[in-house]
Amino acid sequence: MSTTTRRSNGPRTPQGKAAKFFDDRLNLAGPMRKQLNKVFPDHWTFMMGEIALYSFIVLLLTGTYLTFFFDPSSAETVYHGRYLPMQGIPMSRAYASTLNISFDVRGGLIIRQIHHWAALMFVGAMLIHMFRVFFTGAFRKPRELNWLIGLTLIVLGIIEGFAGYTLPDDLLSGTGLRIADAIMLSIPVIGTWVSFLVFGGTFPGDVIIERFYIAHVLLIPAILAALIGAHLALIVRQKHTEFPAPGRSEHTVSGERVFPTYAAKAGGFFFIVAAVLAALGGLAQINPVWLFGPYNPAQVSSGSQPDWYMMFLDGSTRLFPSWEVRLWGHTLAPLFWPTVVLPTILLTLAIGYPFLEAKMTRDTLPHNMLQRPRDVPVRTALGVMALTFYLVLFLSGGNDIIAKAFDISLNAMTWGGRILLLILPPLFYIVTYRICLGLQRHDREVLEHGVETGIVKVLPTGEFIEVHQPLGPVDAHGHGRLAYAGTQVPKRMNQLGAGTPLRHVRGFFYPVKEKPEIQAALDELEALEVDQHDVQHQLTD
Amino acid sequence: MSTTRSPAGVSAHELRDMTPEQAMLAGTEADGVHIVHRRDRFPVRGTKAEKRAERGVALAFLVSALAGVGFVVAFVALPFHWHLPGTPQTFRFYTPALGGLLAVMLLFMGVGLVLWAKWLMPEEEVVQDRHDEPSSEEDRLMTQATLAVGLEDTGLPRRSLILRTLGLAGGAIATVPLVAMVGAMIKKPGKQLEHTLFAPNTKLFPPSGRIPLVYSDWRRVSPDDLLPGSIATVFPGVHEEGPDGKNGITSAASPTLVIRLRPGQQIEARKGQAGFGWPPDAPEYLAFSKICTHAGCPASLYEQQTTRLLCPCHQSQFEVLKDAKPVFGPATRSLPKLPIDVEIGSDGRQYFVARADFNEPIGPAFWERS
Amino acid sequence: MTHVHDGLDDDSSTGKGEFVQDDIDIDVDGELGFEPAVSVTGAEPSGRPAGRSRTAPAASKPGSRRVLRRRLGAGAVLIGALVSMGGTYAAFASSSAPDTSNSAGDIAAGRQLYQTSCITCHGANLQGVKDRAPSLLGVGGASVYFQVSTGRMPAAGQGADQKRKTAKFDEQQVKQLAAYIQSIGGGPQLPVGDLRAGDIAKGGDLFRLNCASCHGTTFQGAPLSAGKVAPGLNRATDEQFYAAMLSGPESMPIFSDHQLTPLQKREIINYVQTLKASKDPGGNGIDRIGPVSEALVFFIAGVGAVMAAILWIGAKAE
Repeated sequence: MSTTTRRSNGPRTPQGKAAKFFDDRLNLAGPMRKQLNKVFPDHWTFMMGEIALYSFIVLLLTGTYLTFFFDPSSAETVYHGRYLPMQGIPMSRAYASTLNISFDVRGGLIIRQIHHWAALMFVGAMLIHMFRVFFTGAFRKPRELNWLIGLTLIVLGIIEGFAGYTLPDDLLSGTGLRIADAIMLSIPVIGTWVSFLVFGGTFPGDVIIERFYIAHVLLIPAILAALIGAHLALIVRQKHTEFPAPGRSEHTVSGERVFPTYAAKAGGFFFIVAAVLAALGGLAQINPVWLFGPYNPAQVSSGSQPDWYMMFLDGSTRLFPSWEVRLWGHTLAPLFWPTVVLPTILLTLAIGYPFLEAKMTRDTLPHNMLQRPRDVPVRTALGVMALTFYLVLFLSGGNDIIAKAFDISLNAMTWGGRILLLILPPLFYIVTYRICLGLQRHDREVLEHGVETGIVKVLPTGEFIEVHQPLGPVDAHGHGRLAYAGTQVPKRMNQLGAGTPLRHVRGFFYPVKEKPEIQAALDELEALEVDQHDVQHQLTD
Repeated sequence: MSTTRSPAGVSAHELRDMTPEQAMLAGTEADGVHIVHRRDRFPVRGTKAEKRAERGVALAFLVSALAGVGFVVAFVALPFHWHLPGTPQTFRFYTPALGGLLAVMLLFMGVGLVLWAKWLMPEEEVVQDRHDEPSSEEDRLMTQATLAVGLEDTGLPRRSLILRTLGLAGGAIATVPLVAMVGAMIKKPGKQLEHTLFAPNTKLFPPSGRIPLVYSDWRRVSPDDLLPGSIATVFPGVHEEGPDGKNGITSAASPTLVIRLRPGQQIEARKGQAGFGWPPDAPEYLAFSKICTHAGCPASLYEQQTTRLLCPCHQSQFEVLKDAKPVFGPATRSLPKLPIDVEIGSDGRQYFVARADFNEPIGPAFWERS
Repeated sequence: MTHVHDGLDDDSSTGKGEFVQDDIDIDVDGELGFEPAVSVTGAEPSGRPAGRSRTAPAASKPGSRRVLRRRLGAGAVLIGALVSMGGTYAAFASSSAPDTSNSAGDIAAGRQLYQTSCITCHGANLQGVKDRAPSLLGVGGASVYFQVSTGRMPAAGQGADQKRKTAKFDEQQVKQLAAYIQSIGGGPQLPVGDLRAGDIAKGGDLFRLNCASCHGTTFQGAPLSAGKVAPGLNRATDEQFYAAMLSGPESMPIFSDHQLTPLQKREIINYVQTLKASKDPGGNGIDRIGPVSEALVFFIAGVGAVMAAILWIGAKAE
C-alpha cells in the first residue's frame, strides 16, 4: 500500500484525527474496542459495590477540599472565631480549624458534612456488597483473591474512618481516642509499647493528630486506591458473575455492553449516589463538633458513641463480662477480648470462609454462576447467624440511647444484649435453614404442579380442586417435567405474562394519535414482530 | 495487506464497504461478544412516544443545569454567618439550601443519564465469551521450564554461599527501614503510667510536698465547698509541666473526683485504704480517680442518693460506699482512691491536699500492671 | 466576657420574634420518642427570648422577679437552715438567697396548698411519712420549686425517680408553696434576678466538666444505673436549672455556691439556654443525639435512597 493511498484513507474530521494521533502512538484500536464491547450483567444487586466506589470518589473530592482549610495540629490555641459559645476557650488548632470550616468558610460546613456522610456510605456500601457476595456465593473459585482484597478494603475503610473521626479533636472523638488507647494498652506484653509508639508518649501527647492526619489523607487512601484498582482489575480480568437463567452458561457472561448503555447507567448512578450524599450533607446535620466542645481528658458526655461502623466493637465492649486474667504478676485487661480478639476472630473467619467452604463441600471447580441463597441453606444460615451476631453487638453499641428512648433499664439492656448475643444467632441459624428448605420445596412444588391460578373448580363428583398452570410439558400424571435449574421460578400468574396491561396504550387524558404515515409504519412493524414471535414459538415447540 | 483477515474473519476492505452497524457487529464478534438481541426502542423515527422520551431526558438535564445556577446564586447570596439566638438566625437555611440544590443538580444529571439509556438507547441482550479456561498444559510446561532454567542460570541452587549472603542482605534491607522508621517512634513506657502529678513534691510545695487539690480554674478545694451529696472534679494544683508537657489540669491522668457523702452513708474501705478519706476516722469526703479502670473514660455519672458512679462509655457501675468497687458492667477494678487530708490555708480556711499519690496506676489495665 | 462583640451583622441584626417552632426538630422528636424539645426553640413559658447575651438588659423578665421578691427575710432563712441542717449548710443556703422577701400572704397561701396536696405523704409538720415520702425540713424553696414546677410533685406514684410531667400548680402557686416550706424548714432557695449572666463560653466549659457526663453535651440526658434517668434539659427553665443545681434533686449531686459560684451557675444556664435556642446550621439536627441517630438516618434515608436507585436502574424495561 502506497503512502498516498494511506493519506487518502486518513481521517478528515477533528475527532478522527485525534483518534489517529493516539492510535499511531499507543495502538489503542484493538484493546479499546474490547473494553467498549465488554459485557456487564445488569442485575440490581451488582451495583452495591459501585456505591462504595462512588462514595470513595466523593470522599477524595471533598477530602481534598477540607485539607485546604484544616490545620492538623495538636498545638493549643484560643478560639476567636465566629461561633460565640466557644469564644476564648483553649483548644487544639485542629478543633479550632474545624470550627472555622464549619462557621467561617463559606460552604465549608456542607462539604464537611458530605465528607462525613460519604464516609458512612463508603463503609456501609462495602459491607452490604460483601454480604451480597457472600449470600450468592460469588466469592467461590476463581474469585477468592478478590474476596480477600475486599475484606482488606473494609478493614482499611474502618480504620480510615476512625482516623478521620478523630481529626477534629472534639470531646466525642477524643473520648473514642482514649478508648483506642486503652485497647492498645490491653494487648499482652507489648501493649504499653504500642500505645507509647502511637501517641509518642502518654496519652494524648502532642503528635497524634499530626500522625492520624498523614495516615488519613495519604497513607491509607493511597493503599485504598491501589486496592480498589486491583479489585476492579480482577473483575475485568475474571469478568462478572451472574445469576443462572435460560440461555446463560458458565462460559459466557450476558448483559449490556459498556458503551454506551452500561456507561450511561453507571455514570448516571455515580451522580445519583453523589446526590444522595449531597442531600444528606445539606439536610441532616452530622457530627456537630461545636456542640461537643474541644477534647479535654477530664470531660465526657453521656451517650458517647463512635460512628456506626465502630459501634459493634463498642457494643461488644459493653456486653463483655468483667473478666480479668492475672498471670505471674501481669494483667490481661478485660478490654482485650472484645476489642482485639473478637474482631480478629471475625476477620479470620471471613478470610478463611471461601477456602473452608470449598474444603467442606469438596468443591474444586471454578464457578461463574451465582447461587440463590435458598439453594445453599448452610451458607445462608451461617451468614444470617453472623449478621445477627453483628446486629446484636451493633445495637448494644447504642444501648444507652435505646434505654433512654424507650425507658428501659440500662442494666436490663446490658443483660438483654448478653443473652440475645448467645441465643439469637443459633436461633436465626435454625430458622433461616428451615426457611431455605421451605423455599426450595416450594420451587419444586411449583415446577411439578404448576402455578396456582386462584381458580377453584367443582368436579361432577363434588370434589373441589384448584386449577394449576403447568410451567412446561407434563407427564402422564400431569406432573411437570422441568427440573430446577437454580433460577427464579415464576410463582404468580402475572409473572407468566397473565394479567399485564396491554402495551401501546399511551397518553394520560386521551390516546396518543400518531401522524398517519408514522402510524402505518408502526402497524407494519408490529405485524412483523407478531410473525417473528409465531415463528419462534413454532421452532421451540 | 488487504488480504489479512481480522479475528472475526472480515477484511478491512470488507469493513469499509459495511454500514457502521455491520462493522460494529463485526467488531463485537472479533471480541467474542455476541449480540443475541438488539432492538431499536423507536424503530419508526419521529413518533410521539420518542419525542416524549427525548423531552423527558432533556428536561432532566435542564433541571440539573438550573439547580446548578441556583447553587451558585445561593452560595454567593445567602447569609451564612452564625448568630446568637434572638436574631433571625437565617444562617440555618444556608447549608440545607446548598445541599438541596447540589442534590437536585446531581440527581437530575444522574436520572437524565439513566433515562437516556433506558428510554432511548437500543435494547440489547449481549453475551460475551469468558475465555477463562485454565492456562493450557503447553503454556504451563513452557513457563515452568523457563523459570527452572532461569533459576539454574543464576546458579543459586548450587551456589549456597551466594544464596545465604543474599538472604542476609535482603533481611537487612527489609529490616533497616523498619528500624529507622518505627525505631524513631518507640518510646519507653517506663513507670510513667504508674504515677500522677499527685505524687508528693517537696520542691514545689515545701515542706510536706503534699499537692493541693484544685478546681479546673485553679481555685483550691475546701471541704466547706461541698454539701452532702456533692461531687466535684478536682486536679493536682501543679502548674509545672510534667515530662509529657502537661500540667496538673491538662494531664490526662489527673482528673479526680471528690465526693461528699450524705449523712448516714457509711463507707466500707478496701484493704489498705482505710484512712484515705477525710476525716480519717469517719470519712465523709472521698477522692477517686475519675478515669475509668475499664477503658479510660471519665466515670462521673454520680447518683448521690444511691452512691453509684456510672461510666458513660461502657456502663460500668461503681459502688462508692465500697470504695468504688465495680458492681455492674465490664470494669474489673475499683477506681483508685486518693489519700486526702486537710490543711489550713493562708486565709485560715481548710483546704484539701493529697497525702500521697494513688497507691495503684490509674486508668485502664495494662500488661505490666501487677 | 469575651462575647460582648456578638458579631451581629447586617443580615440578621434586625429581627425579633424569631421564636417560631422549628417544625423539623419537632417531627424528629416525636418519631424518635424523645422528650419534645420545646425549648430548643427558646419558647419558654415566660415567652422571653432565650440566650440573651450579657449586653441584653435584664429587664425583660418581669415574671420571675416579681415572684422572687416575695421572699422570706434572710434572717428567717438563716434560722430555719441552722435548725435543720447545721452551720455549714445554712451559710451556703443563705448565700444563695441574699435578697429574698416572702410575704406572709404567700406563706399562708402555700400552707393551704400544702395541706390539700402534699400533707398525706410529707406529713403535717413536713417531717415525712415512713415508707411514703421524705421529710421536707431543710430542703429549701429551691427544691420545692424544682419538684413542683417540673410536675414531679405531687408524685404520680411511689419512688425516688419521678418523671417530669405537666405541673399541677401555676408559677405563683409553686412559689407560694416554696415560701411555705422555706418558712418552716429553711434551706437553699432561688436567688432574685436574672439567672443568666456572664460568659457563655465559660459556662459551656463548666457545663461539659460538671453536667455533660449525665445530661450530655447536647442536653439529651442519659440512663443511669438500674432504670434511673438523668433527664434531658430541653424543657428546663432558668429557675429549674438553678434550683436543680442548688438542691440536687433525686440522683443529681448538689452544687453549692462555693463549688460553682452563683456567677458560674448563671454562666452555665446562659450557655445551655443559648444553645437550646440556637438553630442548627447544618440542616436538621436529628435531635442532636449523635452517632446513633446519624446511623438511623444513614440506614433509613441514605442506604434506602441508594437501594431504591439501584432497584430502579436495575429494573428491566417492559
